[in-house]
Amino acid sequence: MRLKWLRLALPLAVLLALVFAFTSCGDDDDEGGGGGGGGASGSTGIPEEFAAPTAAPDDAQKGGNLTLISEGDIDYIDPGAAYYQVTYTIDFGIFRQLVSWPPDATEDPAPDLAEDDPEISDDNKTITFRIQDGISYSPPLEDREVTTADIKYAIERSLMPGVANGYTTTYMKDIVGMDEAIKASEENKTVAPDISGIETPDDKTIVFHLDRTSVEGVLGALSLPVSSPVPEDYAKEFDAESPSTYGDHAVFTGPYMIENDDKGNLTGYSPGKEIKIVRNPSWDPETDFRPAYLDSITMQQGFSDPTSAAKKVLEGSAQVTFDFPPSPTVIQEVAQGGKYDASQMSVTPSGGNRYIALNTQEKPFDDINIRKAVIAGSDRTALRNTRGGELIGPVANHYIPPLIPGFEEAGGLEAPEGLDYLANEDGDPALAAEYMKKAGFESGKCEGSECRITMVGDDSPPGRDTATVFNDQLEQLGFDVQFQPVEHSLMYTKFCSVPSNQPDVCPNVGFIKDCNDPECFFDIPWYGPSINPDNNSNWGRLDDPEVNKGIEEARLITDPDERAQAYGDLDKLVMSKAAVLPWVFDNDVVVRSPDVDLVINLFNALVDISYTSIRR
Amino acid sequence: MTRYIVRRVLWGAALLVIVSAVVFVIFYLLPTADPAKLRVGRNPNPALIAQIREQLHLNDPVYVQFWEYMKGVFFHFDFGQSYVSQAPVREIIVDRLPATALLVSGAVVIWLAMGLPVGIVSAIKRRSLMDRTMMVTSLALISAPVFWLGLVALYLFAEDVGVIQIFPGQGSYIGAESFAAKCWSMFLPWVVLAAATAAIYARYMRSSMIETMAEDYIRTARAKGLRERDVVVRHGVRSAITPIVTLLGLDIGLLLAGNAILTESVFNIPGIGHQIVLSIRRSDLPMIQGIVLFGAFFIIIFNLIVDIIYAYLDPRVRYQ
Repeated sequence: MRLKWLRLALPLAVLLALVFAFTSCGDDDDEGGGGGGGGASGSTGIPEEFAAPTAAPDDAQKGGNLTLISEGDIDYIDPGAAYYQVTYTIDFGIFRQLVSWPPDATEDPAPDLAEDDPEISDDNKTITFRIQDGISYSPPLEDREVTTADIKYAIERSLMPGVANGYTTTYMKDIVGMDEAIKASEENKTVAPDISGIETPDDKTIVFHLDRTSVEGVLGALSLPVSSPVPEDYAKEFDAESPSTYGDHAVFTGPYMIENDDKGNLTGYSPGKEIKIVRNPSWDPETDFRPAYLDSITMQQGFSDPTSAAKKVLEGSAQVTFDFPPSPTVIQEVAQGGKYDASQMSVTPSGGNRYIALNTQEKPFDDINIRKAVIAGSDRTALRNTRGGELIGPVANHYIPPLIPGFEEAGGLEAPEGLDYLANEDGDPALAAEYMKKAGFESGKCEGSECRITMVGDDSPPGRDTATVFNDQLEQLGFDVQFQPVEHSLMYTKFCSVPSNQPDVCPNVGFIKDCNDPECFFDIPWYGPSINPDNNSNWGRLDDPEVNKGIEEARLITDPDERAQAYGDLDKLVMSKAAVLPWVFDNDVVVRSPDVDLVINLFNALVDISYTSIRR
Repeated sequence: MTRYIVRRVLWGAALLVIVSAVVFVIFYLLPTADPAKLRVGRNPNPALIAQIREQLHLNDPVYVQFWEYMKGVFFHFDFGQSYVSQAPVREIIVDRLPATALLVSGAVVIWLAMGLPVGIVSAIKRRSLMDRTMMVTSLALISAPVFWLGLVALYLFAEDVGVIQIFPGQGSYIGAESFAAKCWSMFLPWVVLAAATAAIYARYMRSSMIETMAEDYIRTARAKGLRERDVVVRHGVRSAITPIVTLLGLDIGLLLAGNAILTESVFNIPGIGHQIVLSIRRSDLPMIQGIVLFGAFFIIIFNLIVDIIYAYLDPRVRYQ
C-alpha cells in the first residue's frame, strides 16, 4: 500500500521542486493617461471621433511604464532582418535610421541620423547624406560614436545569408554594385560583401550611387530598419555565425533599448513571452525629434482572445493593444458609446488592402469578360462585413490604399472612371450577366465543365467567412466551386503563392505597404517578371506588357506630383485588367486605456512608443 | 537490480529516439508550411528563400538533419535553436517550465482536495440526494470545455473584465513578481483546470470505493467491530485509491508535457502548452521537437523512477 502513496507523492514532490527551482521574476504594469493631439481622417472615410491622434498633448508627462499587449512576437530583433509592421514599431523607438517617420508624416520621412534632407544630384542618380555629430550607441558601446561606415556595413550585412533581409535586394537593387555584392555574399557567406555604390568619404558622409533614377524607392528603403547603424568591429563576430546572432547582442541608437547586461547580451527579450524596453542612457534628445516621454515599455505577448485582451486594455489593466485588432464585438461596443469613451479607440488606414485573386493564366479566368462578370457581381460590402463592417475600412474600389500617393489620382474612395464593373460596391447582377453573355454564356451565368473552379482559402474566421461569402457569390454566377479551406500560412506557401499548384481563386490575399511610396505596391504584386515559382505574390499571375512597362517607367519618375499621377494611372490600368477583386482598404484599430495619451504613427498605423505618454 | 535499471534506461533512450523520429516524419511528410517560406516574408526573391533554407540547414538530407539533432540532444543536451526566434530551445523550455509546473501543482492540490472527498462521500452515501447532486455536478463539469469554462471564469471573476472583479485576470502571471503574487495570479487557472479533472477523479473514486466497500474484508473489518471511519479510511480508501494513483501519475506527466494548452492559452500563461501552440502555428520544428521530447523524457524518467523504487520495494518486480 505504501507504494501507491509513493506514486501519489512523488509527482507532487517533483512538481514542488520544479516550482521552487524555476519560478522567477515578471514585471510591473502601472499607470496610464488620456487622449490627445491632432488627428488624421481626411479622405480615409474614418469617422472623426476615431481618427488616429498623431501628436502628443501639450501637457504630455514624462515617466511611467507602458504595457502593450500582443498576441504574437516580433520577427527579428536584428534590424537587418526585421520585416514586420509590429517589429518596425519597436525598432523605430530603439534604432535610428538615416531618415524616419514622425507620427503625422505620410509622404516624406524626416532626417533622423541625417542632419538634414539628402542632397540629390541633378541626374537623380546620387544621394548624399551627412549624419549628425554626437550620436552614440547604447551600453556596452556607449563610448562609440555612430559613423557612416556603420550604416554602410548595416546595409551590406543585410545581404548575408545569415541575416537574409527581405527587401534590400528589391528596393535597393539599383545601387551601383548591388549585383556583384549579391554574388559575393553567395560565395563567402559569413562576410558582409562590399557594395561599391555606397561610399563613405568621411565618418559623417555617406553617398549612394544609383544605376538608374530610382531615388524614391531607395529613400523609402533607407527609412526602414536596415539603415540602422551596426558597428562592424562589434558585430563581426556575431555575423560570422549563420544565422547571425547579432540580434541577441544588438546595440541601440534610439531613445530606448531592450534591456541588456554589461556585456551586451539582451536580457529583456523572452521570445513569445515578453520584451522589456528601457531608456537608452546614451541617447541625446538634442539630436532627435522624438520626445520619448515613457521611462519603459513592456510588450506582453500571448493574448489569444482578442475580446478579453481588448477589454483588459479598455478597463485599464494594460495600456494599448498592439498586434491584433479588437474583436468586432468590442469595436461595436466602443463605437456605440456608453461604457467606454469613443476616444479610447483609434482607427488608422493600415496602408494595406485585401483582395480576391483570379488566376488569369487558366480557364475560365483567362477570359477577361468572365473576370469582369465576377467583379461586377460581387457584393463587396458583404465581404467587408465578414471582418467587422464599416470601421474595419472603406470598400476598396481600386488598388492603392489611402494615404499613399496615387490614391486620390486613382479615384480616392470612388471607383476609377470607365470601369463599370467596379462601380457598384453592393454588386450588380445585371451587369455581371451582361459580361457573362460577352464571354459566350447566353444565359448570363457560367455553364459547363470550365465553370467548375477551385478555391483555396483560410480555414478559420474571419478569412474563412470571407471565403464562404464569396463562394456563395460565385455560385450565384453559375460557378461550381470546389472550396478547400486550409491554415492561413499553408494557403500561401502550398497553394496561392505556388503558381504550379495555384487554384482558380484565392479569396484571402492582400498587400500591405513596405514604404509610403506607391512603388512598393507594384514591383512585387504586379510586375510580370516578378512571378516566381515559389512565394509568388502576383496572385492574379498577370504578366501584361503594358502593365510591366508602366511599372518600369513610373519608378524612374522623381517629381512627386508626376509620380503620384503615374501610379494613379497605373492603378487604373491594373484594375482595367480585372485580375483581382479589391474589397477593403484595411484599417488598423487600436484601443487604449483611459490613462494613456496615445499617439499613432501613420506610417506604421500602430502606437508610436516614442510619442505616447501616460497621465500620472 | 542494476540490470533492471540499465534495461529501463536503454529502453527509455530508445523510446526518445523513436518519438523524435516520429515527429520528424510527421513534420516532413504531412503538409506543414515550409519554415523557409514562412520566414522569408513577402519578398518573393527565390535567392532569399534559398539563403534561409541554408541558414536553417533545411537543404541537408532529412536523415542528416535528424542525426545532427540526435547528436545535439544526447551528447550536449542541446535541443537546437528555434526557427522563429533563433533562441536555444532548451532555454525557452526552461523559461516556460515554471509557469506550467506552478499551474499543474496548484491544480493537482485542488482537484485532489475536491475530487477525492466527493468521490468517497458519494460512494458512502450512495443513491442519496447528496450523491446524486454531486454526480450530476461532476457530469456538468466534465462536459464543460476548459476553454469555455476559462472564458466564463474570466468574464465573471477577473479583476479587469469580470462582472465581480476579484481574481487576477488574463496575462497576470507575466506581471507577477513574487512567488505569492504568481500563486495569486494562478487562482482562476487552477480552479478551471482542476474543475473538470476533479469531477473525473470524483467519479473514478466513487466507483472504486463502491467496489471496494463490497469486498469481503470490509465486511470482516466491520464484523470485528472497527469504527466505520476506520473501515472507510484505513481499509476502503487505501485500497480504492490504487487506480487514482495510477491516473494521477499519468495526468501530471501529460500536463507537464504541455497538455494544459487550453488553460494556458485562455489565461495567457507562458507555459509549455502555450509555447507548443505557438510553435505548431509557426511550423517551428525544433521547438515542437524539443517540447515533445521534453514531455516524453519527463514521462519516461518519471515512470522509471517510480518503477525503480517499486522494484526495490517489491522483490517480485525484479523477477518479472
